[in-house]
Amino acid sequence: MILTESELVARCRQGDREAQRELYSQTSERIYRLLLRMTGNQDTAFDLAQDTYLRAFARIDQFDGRSAFGTWLYRIAVTEALQFLRQEKRFRRSLQEDARETAVDSSSEQTAARMDVNEALAALEPGDRAILLLRYQEGQSYRAIAETLECEEGTVASRLNRARNRFRGILGKGYAPWEEGEAAEHPKKGDTGRAGAPAAAGKPASRGRGRE
Amino acid sequence: MDCQRIREQLGAYLDDEVPQDARREVETHLNACPECTGELDVLGRIAEGLAPQEPIAVPDALWSAIEQRLDGDTQQETQRAPLTAKFHIFRKPMTAAASVLFAVGIGLVAIALLHETTPTASASTVDFSVLLDALPLDAQKALRKFLTLYDAKEIQPYTAHSHAPDLDFEIPETLPGGFRREAVYALRFGGGPGITAEYYRDDGEFLAALFHPPVQQEDFGTHKDRPCVIGQHRGHTVEVGPWRLVHLTDPTTCHCVLSRLDLEHEVPSVMAAVAPRTTPLDDHGHGGADHG
Repeated sequence: MILTESELVARCRQGDREAQRELYSQTSERIYRLLLRMTGNQDTAFDLAQDTYLRAFARIDQFDGRSAFGTWLYRIAVTEALQFLRQEKRFRRSLQEDARETAVDSSSEQTAARMDVNEALAALEPGDRAILLLRYQEGQSYRAIAETLECEEGTVASRLNRARNRFRGILGKGYAPWEEGEAAEHPKKGDTGRAGAPAAAGKPASRGRGRE
Repeated sequence: MDCQRIREQLGAYLDDEVPQDARREVETHLNACPECTGELDVLGRIAEGLAPQEPIAVPDALWSAIEQRLDGDTQQETQRAPLTAKFHIFRKPMTAAASVLFAVGIGLVAIALLHETTPTASASTVDFSVLLDALPLDAQKALRKFLTLYDAKEIQPYTAHSHAPDLDFEIPETLPGGFRREAVYALRFGGGPGITAEYYRDDGEFLAALFHPPVQQEDFGTHKDRPCVIGQHRGHTVEVGPWRLVHLTDPTTCHCVLSRLDLEHEVPSVMAAVAPRTTPLDDHGHGGADHG
């Protein structure tokens, strides 16, 4: 028997394990994919996916059905990821700072190389990363994004614009795939400015978030 | 319509999220403006770059792991914020100065060492001098160096006890004084695991706690470790400027608090929160150059 989403949710409220399993089956690829690309780490995505589903099942009484279950689940997953990344960022930044203190920057060759899209994504602030992934990886509408991120629908476009610009700015430092030709034309121009690009990769967005 | 206004809408246009009339307006502009058309092309490539490129396989073990936790504890959500609620740790806000509580837990070595006159091969030295030396300059950086030295890895708070199962400690979400837990790390001292919890207050001050088994050697470098009283307990403290590394040791765990809190009035409540089961007036003056 094929159950509708609302029927599955109703059964989950009763603690029906099969219903939980079915909802998991219907959503796990999207949730895991989002978490994997949000964190860039399989182990972390694995852990956060567990937390996401456990939290969802524990709070399923709070799901009011006004949005799709998947959207509600995205909201939980994004919250889990952002919480994790905020903590990780503080620690990773500190380690990077320590590393910079003891290591002479020998990365000019590396920074002149084309920056991978995923590297640029990883260098974004988690909030920017989340909204870009929700739109362009998960294909969410602006309305669904607003529900997921719990913001006004009218702000989604401007937030996406900002995230895109920052993403583009980070890519620009290492040259996006579609900018390689330009890079070849003036390879020396950015040597100074790009010398610290990897180490500072998270900083443009970080400064941008300073108003929070 | 000017290019700037069009460009602000290009993303939404690309995403098919602009109203029909605005859409026509954008298209009219694009037909006449190669620069904005080029901009739209770049935005399209960004979208393509972010789109899923290949299917991602969900690990087979994921559902099993979820189910295992569902079976193990139907209150998993409370377990995630864990272990704090269980022990009913209540505190009232303090008006204290900034502080850092630093908690690290190392497992497995512990109890036997208390009763041995010589360290075993598995005993480890905790080099606090790295932390203490750097405190006057930048306490947070000092903490980072210490974490780096011991190969710290951030973990989920609710897994802390599984990383250091033989230690008795708590890392509540909040501590007296308005500190909120921000990060928890697993460390490695010698062959043993450790845990560090980092707390911050709204004004940016941080506080951390360190738990480790009662090792026989703790290296405080040139800094002096002296006995002190922490509420109903006897402990030790190393002071560096306004900072104070206070440690309270019981048979299983050394609980260390690094902070600028007042030793008499503020540290006791924090220590009670992270070491709620330590027996009062139980002096296990551990390690350190002075009494190793």
